[in-house]
Amino acid sequence: MKDQSHGLRRLTVLRGLLLSLVAASALAWAGVASAQSAAQKAVEAAKKICNGKTITIVWEAGLQSLDPTQFSGPLWEKETGCKVKVVEVPTAEMFTKIMQEFRAGTGAYDALNVIPAWMPDLAQAGALEVLDPYVDKYGFRDELKKIAPTYRDNQMTVNGKIYGFPDDGDVFLFYYRKDIFARADLKKAFKDKHKYDLAPPKTWKQFDEIGSFLTDALKKDHIYGAAFFREPPYTMFMFQERFRVEGGKFFDANTMNATVNGPVGVKVFTEMRNENRFMPPGVEKFGFVENLATFLKGESAMTISWPPYGRFAAGYLANEKALSWVPKSTIAGKVGYALPPGGHPELAAGFALSVASTSKQKEAAYLFIQWLNSEEISGKRVKLPYALRDPFRDSHYTDPEYLKLWPDAKEYLSALHQGAQTGLLDLSLIQTDKYEEALRQGISKLWAGEDPKAILDKVAADWDGITKQVGTDKQKAVYSAWASKSGAYPK
Amino acid sequence: MERGSAGLGAPFLSVLSLRDISGATHLMQSRGAFAERNFKYLLVGPAIFVLLLIGIFPLVYLLMVSFQGITMTETSTDFVGARNYAQLFHDARMWEALLHTVIFTAIALPVELVLGLAMAQLFLERLPGRQIFVALLVLPVVVSPIVSGATWALLFDHRFGPINQIIGWFTGDTTAILWSINPKLVYPAIIAAEIWQWTPFMFLLLLAALANVDKSQLEAAAIDGAGWWRTFFRIVLPAIWPVMAIAILIRGLDLFRLFDIVWALTKGGPGTMTETISIFTYVKGFQQFETSYTAAVAFLVIILLSVVVMLALKRVELAR
Repeated sequence: MKDQSHGLRRLTVLRGLLLSLVAASALAWAGVASAQSAAQKAVEAAKKICNGKTITIVWEAGLQSLDPTQFSGPLWEKETGCKVKVVEVPTAEMFTKIMQEFRAGTGAYDALNVIPAWMPDLAQAGALEVLDPYVDKYGFRDELKKIAPTYRDNQMTVNGKIYGFPDDGDVFLFYYRKDIFARADLKKAFKDKHKYDLAPPKTWKQFDEIGSFLTDALKKDHIYGAAFFREPPYTMFMFQERFRVEGGKFFDANTMNATVNGPVGVKVFTEMRNENRFMPPGVEKFGFVENLATFLKGESAMTISWPPYGRFAAGYLANEKALSWVPKSTIAGKVGYALPPGGHPELAAGFALSVASTSKQKEAAYLFIQWLNSEEISGKRVKLPYALRDPFRDSHYTDPEYLKLWPDAKEYLSALHQGAQTGLLDLSLIQTDKYEEALRQGISKLWAGEDPKAILDKVAADWDGITKQVGTDKQKAVYSAWASKSGAYPK
Repeated sequence: MERGSAGLGAPFLSVLSLRDISGATHLMQSRGAFAERNFKYLLVGPAIFVLLLIGIFPLVYLLMVSFQGITMTETSTDFVGARNYAQLFHDARMWEALLHTVIFTAIALPVELVLGLAMAQLFLERLPGRQIFVALLVLPVVVSPIVSGATWALLFDHRFGPINQIIGWFTGDTTAILWSINPKLVYPAIIAAEIWQWTPFMFLLLLAALANVDKSQLEAAAIDGAGWWRTFFRIVLPAIWPVMAIAILIRGLDLFRLFDIVWALTKGGPGTMTETISIFTYVKGFQQFETSYTAAVAFLVIILLSVVVMLALKRVELAR
């Protein structure tokens, strides 16, 4: 009996040990599973459903698309067996193409690159898939939290639902020639004239004074104080930033009447045109490339642009075949990075990754964009020398590999990080493009010599007309939601 | 019939009276006549059906959409009455675009006509190397208008364009004329590009027309002592008028839908200063997705063009 009870006890202990072992194994497996990165989860899931399928993704034409055609597309295929077809579309046509395809409902596009300012329009039209269910299913929420707050909080959702993953830390940076700003003769002459030190401008008034001074001093050497891209699609972003930095509001929040034609708007427009006088002749026609060429050739002392200018100027990409069109930098090691005057750079354009609602393989499309956007893969993509994706995750700004890319990379990443914290969002409403179009037309009239006040009155009248057409109350609600975001107006 | 009748037997034959047989024959004859009479319609019927399908159906559909309220975000096909047409009549930008189109047409068309006629007159004579010159002159017509526009944009480029460079040789200084921004220069720039591309079209048609003018009449006029102008206006012009009228009509319609060259050079800017009705329609329809409103604009343009074409055709008919 005693033996019997002893044997029973031993059996119970053995069974307990066995159960503990099973439980421990199960916990260990669960631990391994949860330790899987979002990229690995996407790969594992895609392997099961891809089976040679092809995902079609819309990507900005040009350098941007070298990322999926040369790096991420082939890598995804290697890891999952899922092929990627890239449809390259010029930025100006992306919205149109996406909408046209959505209207046609052919399912030709699976995944999309979407400029965040378009998101409300595309979401409301029903062109984008809500991503929340997929995010939960494939455990991506934790990694989404590690996207820099400006992008994560402002460029990911519409009405609380996720429609896209912010995937490009586009922000305007101020670039200046450190060697010119350090010249003793210029410093002395500037201080004598303006009674403050020659340094990167903190205000637009300072910018005008420095720009004008440097042009007068250096024009004989074919160097202008500053050059900007002035083509309306680019200037539109610069105006949006500067108008808000100077204290302007786009609309009266109560009436939804446009207030862009107030004294601030007129001041900004007038100053912008006056600045062209100390910039290179024909600056009104400068686009991204013309302005880049002018800066890299050392013909302008200051400029404002997107992050790639900093990388191109550093010259560490000089031997990259895909960048053979970029003029050879004559100013490597001489470029300083700062925030534009006012300290609130425009988070101009940018890209988010979305899934097309008409896609016939949404799951596979989702997995691809989760993988692209993941901590692991995005970290590699923002370092690709030829692609134009800019750091957008907290980890990107402190990536040891990135910091080693060129001597001043630390300052560059620091400026980008600051910009991401204080940056201003592009205006985003229902039918944003119509508002932008009115502004673009206004800017082209500004360069043509029309009166700034008259131009802005017309812009305001057009904006009011669009608001009325959309529905004042409906638009007011969207504007209020946008204006309440942290990056809408300087705090 | 006989064999059949025998087969059916006498009782059945008795049932079919002679009157019935003659009635059936008559029916068959009348059917045959009907088929013969309408055979031509049967032949052209499919073609007419296809034409209606690709011509009338879209028009009817366009008209229908123009009375709906479809936009980028609104896909409901409910009818909204004449709202789009009311909006259209108050849309200053649309009327301005129409005016710009008329301005381009009113300037470019006569210049192309006169230049084309002058060139045709010049090349009517047997000049050495005439065929090579004619072939070279015609080259702009075969270039796609958007390519032509892009090429002219490069020619007018403020920094690297040869036009500013040549002007610079004369002024002795670097010239940075902004052809596509300066309000005083933007129309001449577009019209120059348009004339360069399409004058050869006029030239070709008018050369063919001039070559067919009755030589005996010209000789008779010369013998009678008629001068060049008199001969041209009294003999040559009436002789080539039908061809010339068609050339004017084709180019007029082309100019009315002017898009590519303007788009490549200015995109309708500065502001909307050079926006044509085609650009306006494209922007509204395919950039801003105001589908129903764009349908109303398109319908208005169709009506306007139809009236112009009918008047023009009537004029050509009178000339004959």
